Amino acid sequence: MVKAVPLWLKITTLVFIGLIVVLMLAPLVVVVGTSFSANQFISFPPKGFSLEWYQKVLSSDAYLGSAGLSIAIALMVTLSSVIIGGAAAIAIHRRQLPKSELLGALFLSPLILPTIIYAIGLLMFWSATFGRVSFVTLWIGHTAITLPYVVRTTLAVLTESDPFIEEAARTMGAGRLQRLFFVVLPQCRPGLAAGAFFAFNISFDEAVLSLFLRTPDLTTLPVQIYGQLEFSPDPSVAAVSTIMIALTVLLILVIDRVLGIGKFASA
Amino acid sequence: MKTDRAENALLVSPGLLLLALAFFLPIARMLALSVMAEEGGFTLAHFAQFVSEPYYLGVLWRTIRLSFIITVISALIGFPLAYIMARSGRRARLWLIIVILLPLMTSVVIRTFGWMVIFERGGIVSSTLYDLGLVKRNFTLMRTETAIVIGMVQVLLPFMTLSILGVITRIDQRLEEAARTMGCSFLQSFRHVVLPLSMPGIAAGSLLAFTLSASSFVTPSLLGGPRLQVLAASIYSSVTQTLDWHFAAAQAVILFLGIALTLIPYFRLTGGRHG
Repeated sequence: MVKAVPLWLKITTLVFIGLIVVLMLAPLVVVVGTSFSANQFISFPPKGFSLEWYQKVLSSDAYLGSAGLSIAIALMVTLSSVIIGGAAAIAIHRRQLPKSELLGALFLSPLILPTIIYAIGLLMFWSATFGRVSFVTLWIGHTAITLPYVVRTTLAVLTESDPFIEEAARTMGAGRLQRLFFVVLPQCRPGLAAGAFFAFNISFDEAVLSLFLRTPDLTTLPVQIYGQLEFSPDPSVAAVSTIMIALTVLLILVIDRVLGIGKFASA
Repeated sequence: MKTDRAENALLVSPGLLLLALAFFLPIARMLALSVMAEEGGFTLAHFAQFVSEPYYLGVLWRTIRLSFIITVISALIGFPLAYIMARSGRRARLWLIIVILLPLMTSVVIRTFGWMVIFERGGIVSSTLYDLGLVKRNFTLMRTETAIVIGMVQVLLPFMTLSILGVITRIDQRLEEAARTMGCSFLQSFRHVVLPLSMPGIAAGSLLAFTLSASSFVTPSLLGGPRLQVLAASIYSSVTQTLDWHFAAAQAVILFLGIALTLIPYFRLTGGRHG
């Protein structure tokens, strides 16, 4: 057995971890704390306790409107991304198409290209071809940037699955659609689920693409918050942000239930 | 077999169509716009404008310099953090993953907002430093490069740590034990066994952090303000404020070329795989 780690190193490690926790969580803690402030101005530590900013958010048409838009887009994007990306991953995995390696790389390219470059391209292309940007523009744009995540998670699950089950189903006379729906899709399910969570989360939090494509009646929640931050925010911004953080925590809990957070360690 | 191929082609075609029409076509459009004169026709005037104005060269230099500093700091923190995560118990690792994952899954806009509250005049940082007698009364970290660096390290640390963690968990722990039994101190085995074997993860994480940092604009523009513009923020103001789309496209191409140059070694390193 080897010698234990020296004591000074253990202490350094604990201090280091403490600093990491502060660095990572401080901005979130501050936002949550500020949202309960009784003060008119944003300040941390908060002065007093009140829920008035939540009340203000829940009675604000601007916030409710952009929240509705964000949720609608995130849901549509999740649906389209999972269907399109899942189908593509199944086809790529079978490796029967020519250049399936290249296909795989092609589907991951939105992950590599910085979103800002894509955002400016999409804005210019859409304006020149169709005119005003709309809900559909944002939907398509978010689908393109979330697609790689679904393809990747589904491919990861498929490479670990048993290819002979589909072969067995074929031998036993299952048709094309039967094999797809009763064998391949159930095999993909954990990958599709993980991809769906990523797609929803990324679309819901996405700010860059949404900022470039913003119009007065196409303002998602992150864009709404960004706009407030550019001017003089009051604690109602903190209240909205806290609601979004709560939603993220909820999403992580669901992911943990469905897939197990531990998977991220090996991902 | 022939119909199998048709089935696969059918499955992959919606995705290919989406990528071609809604991803590659827009990028081609942007590339075209960057070398097009206002009245049509080919020109390199937009690039010449960028290169000839000291202001934009300053923006480019700030972008490169800050991205470099941010990447180095993220690597210096991310490597020990990934090692600690890899070698700690199940429960501790789970908590550390949550500490990294929760901010990663929260919108960058919200996290930047948190830093704004922390850094502003009269916020925690300035009042603490004032109480210690280190700074003047109306000191603020807002609109400084330090603020940008801190905010961006918080954004990029998860990417860096997860990149390195993936590599460290694959290192055979017996190598470390062998080094220790042969008389290495902990730090020696760390330096001569763990560090060299983690290099692919550190390199991949650093390139990822550098490209993300060079192209980010929400955090730098909110924490740095309009006077400390980075390239991505300059693109955004060309699109939304001066409405000069050709020049915006040219700046985006410059950013794209810079990132492509950085990514070539990345693909060499991973051999085209995505690690």
